[in-house]
Amino acid sequence: MRLVYRLILSSLLFSTAPAEAQDRLTVDGDIDLRWVHATGESSFLNGGLGDLRFDPNHEGVRLGRAFLAPNFRVTDIVSVHAVIDAYGDHDRNAVDASEFYVDVRPFPTTSIRWRARVGAFFMPVSLENRGIGWTAVYSITPSAVNTWLGEEFRTLGAELEARWLGASSDYLGDVALVAAAYSWNDPAGALLAQRGFALTDRPSTLFGGLGRPPITFYHEIDRKPGYYGGLSWRHHDRLEIRALRYDNRADPGAYTEAGGGAWRTRFSSFGARLEPSAHWTFIAQYLTGDTAVGPDSNPEDQFYMRFHAAFALGSFEWAKERLTVRYDDFRTHQLSGNYGPPSNDAGHSWTFAGSHEYGDHWQFVAEWLRVTSSFPPRIALGEAAAQVQSQLQLAVRCKFQLGW
Amino acid sequence: MRMSHSKSISRPSAETLNGSAINVALRRRAMATCVTLIFLAGAGSSAAADLSVMIVDREGRGVGEVVVTATPVTANKAPALKPAVMDQRNLAFAPRVLVVGVGTTVEFPNSDSVSHQVYSFSPAKRFQLPLYKGQIHPPITFDRAGLVVLGCNIHDSMVGYIYVTDAAYFGTTESGGALQFKDIPAGDYRVTLWSPFVTDAPASLIRTVHIDGNAPATTRVQLSLALRSRPEPRPPRRDWDY
Repeated sequence: MRLVYRLILSSLLFSTAPAEAQDRLTVDGDIDLRWVHATGESSFLNGGLGDLRFDPNHEGVRLGRAFLAPNFRVTDIVSVHAVIDAYGDHDRNAVDASEFYVDVRPFPTTSIRWRARVGAFFMPVSLENRGIGWTAVYSITPSAVNTWLGEEFRTLGAELEARWLGASSDYLGDVALVAAAYSWNDPAGALLAQRGFALTDRPSTLFGGLGRPPITFYHEIDRKPGYYGGLSWRHHDRLEIRALRYDNRADPGAYTEAGGGAWRTRFSSFGARLEPSAHWTFIAQYLTGDTAVGPDSNPEDQFYMRFHAAFALGSFEWAKERLTVRYDDFRTHQLSGNYGPPSNDAGHSWTFAGSHEYGDHWQFVAEWLRVTSSFPPRIALGEAAAQVQSQLQLAVRCKFQLGW
Repeated sequence: MRMSHSKSISRPSAETLNGSAINVALRRRAMATCVTLIFLAGAGSSAAADLSVMIVDREGRGVGEVVVTATPVTANKAPALKPAVMDQRNLAFAPRVLVVGVGTTVEFPNSDSVSHQVYSFSPAKRFQLPLYKGQIHPPITFDRAGLVVLGCNIHDSMVGYIYVTDAAYFGTTESGGALQFKDIPAGDYRVTLWSPFVTDAPASLIRTVHIDGNAPATTRVQLSLALRSRPEPRPPRRDWDY
């Protein structure tokens, strides 16, 4: 928070100089209030193994999210970006940050444009989380794929992107190569093993945790950095194709004194977003990978799990309205390590969402989501492994931007 | 017109041509050319007509945003220079395609509520306009012929084109594919086309049009290859670059 005060202070200094505001500092804000009705078992956020954010004991009027996202342009090519969140749930900190990074983006002098980010930020993988702070723009709840990527992953390190600005050379669009090295991602995979996939709009914060007791995510256990590399092609606003390979290179035999293990998690993600006209959007994304914890020298006792998930989304937008339908399918399959009922998650879901923009600041969203899944560890909680859960959300969002 | 001719003679004579016989021949040819030019200019001042250009695609539908230039075949004249404006509205350059004569100054106001950083790394004009809203940067002079592709360093989807030409006459087709040049002096003209959306080889689109000064001239160019898809304006969103 001290940084925010500093940013505001420095912006006041700046505001005395130029005649016209040039947005050296902008602060985007969003307050999302909801009425929720949910069926099915307890959400994992409340100690259960349900797949949704809310449950019958946690419904009614809820805070969806409130955030402030300051973006301070230190120079023309260097900016500092942060997202400060409040979710109003049981997280350790009532207010926390989900991103904080420095973005360096020199003016291109050839058809290659370089960009570097250093700090803590979401990796460039989702095709539906296009809003500030990883917000999904087509529905309230992102897909199972991107729910998980928002929960357990944050790049705490440095990323370099080289983007070939193809529109200047020809007309094929841009091709970007991205590579990152990071630390503090060794627990990534633990939540997926304990709970399976889920569908929530509740990404983790940098210093908080998810669930009860909370699982925290951003620790360095084995002192080995991880990496990801990605390739994308963007044909103006019409088509974007992304592929990304992630490997946190964790040593699954490493653990902390408190007993937390390092999870070696690797995955590949492929996705495409097609916008054939200003009205239609189609997105498909597929994720496949594996995770392991326990020494490699003892493969039978090592917990080893494979996973894959995919979704397809269609959205129609006209004037101030948007309608979206999405189908999700997800699987995890535990192949070794005998620690109770296997973490074999199998499920699918349908999501229907409609939104209406009112003026520049207000948005109303209705979303109904139904997920059918089977996850044997639920039996240990006295629940049936197979569950059908549904959730209706009516959200009112107030968005604003301040600039100096 | 004449200045350019004397230039073209003096250059080879100084560098490569030493024989007096060749020099004599060149001088004769130069004189003959001058006579021809004076004759043409005289004809042009008394006769002029409109030239209508129509660009259609393979299916015969008009194609907008096509730059058309018309250059007199015998001797070009400098294009008329009028200050031009390349605005930025709704996260797009407006107009998307602008054609200007060599030496034109162009203003780059930003009418959006968000700031932009405009750049070009095209050989014809390299420049950068640091972060701004409104109109705080002085206009930029485009002093070399060629294509200048504009981008915004914050919003990668913003792409604009400034086509800088030394042709005497130029314009951009309207959405229906039509463009009219008013009161063009009589003579033969080389008409060229350029558009970011046209895939036909530019050389295949060159036409020579004769204007006799008595009746309006028309030329219709039908493209033989499919057009590239044209980005549609998207509703402005508060997107972030994830």
